[in-house]
Amino acid sequence: MTTVIETQNLCRDFGAGDTLVKALKDNNLIIEKGEFTAIIGPSGSGKSTLLQLIGGLDSPTSGEVILDNKNISHMSGTQLSDFRRDHIGFIFQAYNLIPVLSAKENIEYIMLLQGISADQRAHRVKNILHEVGLQGMEDRFPAQLSGGQQQRVAVARAMVSQPSIILADEPTANLDSKTGAALLDMMKELNEKEHMTFVFSTHDPMIMQRAKRIIRLVDGKIVDDERRD
Amino acid sequence: MSEHNRLISRLASRNIFRNTRRTFLTVLLIACSLSALLFSDALIRGSLQTMVKVSTETFLGQAQIHKPGFRESRDVDIYIDDTKTLYKTLDGLTEIQAYSPRTLSGGMFSSSENVSSGMIIGINPEQEAQVSKLKHVMQQGIYLSGKSSEILIGSELAALLEISLGDRLVVTVSQAHGGELSQALFRISGIFKFGDRTLDSQMVFINLAQGQSLLNIRGVHEVAIKLQSLVYANDKNHALWQSLNNDTWETLSWMALMPQLSGILAMVDYSTWIIATIMFILVSLGLINTMFMSIYERQNEFGILLAIGTRPQQLFWQIILEGGFIGLISVALGSVLGGLGTWWGASKGLNYMQGLEMAGTTFNEAIYLVADTGHFIALCLSILLITIIACIYPAIHAARLTPAHAMRKSL
Ligand SMILES: Nc1ncnc2c1ncn2[C@@H]1O[C@H](COP(=O)(O)OP(=O)(O)O)[C@@H](O)[C@H]1O
Ligand SMILES: [Mg+2]
Repeated sequence: MTTVIETQNLCRDFGAGDTLVKALKDNNLIIEKGEFTAIIGPSGSGKSTLLQLIGGLDSPTSGEVILDNKNISHMSGTQLSDFRRDHIGFIFQAYNLIPVLSAKENIEYIMLLQGISADQRAHRVKNILHEVGLQGMEDRFPAQLSGGQQQRVAVARAMVSQPSIILADEPTANLDSKTGAALLDMMKELNEKEHMTFVFSTHDPMIMQRAKRIIRLVDGKIVDDERRD
Repeated sequence: MSEHNRLISRLASRNIFRNTRRTFLTVLLIACSLSALLFSDALIRGSLQTMVKVSTETFLGQAQIHKPGFRESRDVDIYIDDTKTLYKTLDGLTEIQAYSPRTLSGGMFSSSENVSSGMIIGINPEQEAQVSKLKHVMQQGIYLSGKSSEILIGSELAALLEISLGDRLVVTVSQAHGGELSQALFRISGIFKFGDRTLDSQMVFINLAQGQSLLNIRGVHEVAIKLQSLVYANDKNHALWQSLNNDTWETLSWMALMPQLSGILAMVDYSTWIIATIMFILVSLGLINTMFMSIYERQNEFGILLAIGTRPQQLFWQIILEGGFIGLISVALGSVLGGLGTWWGASKGLNYMQGLEMAGTTFNEAIYLVADTGHFIALCLSILLITIIACIYPAIHAARLTPAHAMRKSL
């Protein structure tokens, strides 16, 4: 097994003095390649903060984040941008897409950053739209898509650059339970097929049932880590 | 990378049309500032050109020749004696369209009612008609025809002396070569009105031969010149000025004769740039405000762009490009508006300064706007540059965002 995500004594404080919030307290975590992991916990327990630190969207107050054997805790803004572009796919809770770009352009964006040729891009966009079940919708703008469809585009965008890690912060929170479950099933299927590592947060019991590993956070601390089969 | 640049410019151009009303208002602010700037620049130029035209065409001439020393002392003894050589030289210069020799002296005018002092100018009627407006500003009577008793008098002076056409007027001067008093009797043959206080209250015109005999000289004090083009007068280094300046001739263009006016002309460029600077500041503040509003609205989006791998400097350029597009649209609109306004003012003329006196010149003509193409382009480009510069601060702000901070609401 290869380790793709490792955190060492990870801490994140917000504010100072009376308003100090210890959002994450000294967490050590190892996630292996191909895992399909859910981070669960009540609202305010630090799920988003953990995913942000793992994804290099924020810097830890102390501790280290190591992704694909690289320590990202001390990278510059540009280095981090490039690292995220090539190693991590993101799916957020809502408003994932750039409103002025069509579905296809949203998906293409990262590949343009990566300098992938036009042929390759067209090929991959076609495949990924098929995989997420959005054939024929490539020219629609986000406002012309339903919430579930928008999240599918977000999944497609996260996967199309073929990153080793996909981080999803409550990707189903804005969807009805049926659409949410379908999205999760789709992600799981892609996880099995492409062997990408998925980490997602949720507090929906129905969604967490689909995970193969469940990490529970309470008050910024990992209190439980359970593997299921 | 060029495909990515195309994507960034597509993003930028689509973004500026997201909030159409805000973009429209910003564009309108910049475009109106620019067109006002272009219009006022052309207006100032037009006004000055009219001032120069009016003051040179009324009486002064575009250039004047004197014997060196005359201008400083106004001494009737300092005259150009060898007029033959001078006229021959002037006739041979293609740049000169017409010239008018004059005798000049101070003197006293006595009518049966009153006494006043002023300036007696001897002229050759045909030649003077080609250089100054005198012939065209006759109010009563007739212009000089060459008869020895003729005298033209300014309207205000006529009122002061309480005389009218046909009345007698005694002119007393002190002659050249010793200053003996000399008197002559004239009959008012015409009354003129330039519309300029100094000219109308102090000048009388007689035939050149009478002027010369009154002063007991054979030469002339002054030769007023009309050039083929005012361009020669504005060019201090033109060969013309060398050939007409020596020990016996001092030739000066209107710029040297009316230093107040040429001083104002030199200030035009500064004044435009001062107005421009104020406009630039207003435009920048308006644009910075717009950009910040649009950036605050799009924090989440910037967070996402950064999260999925956009480099901070790419975001920076996207914002700069958005400002650049707004600038381009504004400059296009503003230059069309300003150009149309200037074109209208240049062809129709404005009458707003009618009768106004400025730097010793009275305006009696409409002002036609004059656009300076180089200046026009420079102003347009500066506005474009300013819009881009104004976006630097908002762009740096966007590029410095940390993705997690920008997306706090959603993540
Ligand atoms: N930028 C911030 N500034 C101040 N406090 C924050 C910030 N981000 C998160 N927090 C606090 O950190 C804690 C964890 O938040 P978060 O990671 O969003 O929890 P979850 O995603 O599990 O709901 C909360 O108490 C939250 O108020
Ligand atoms: Mg959260």
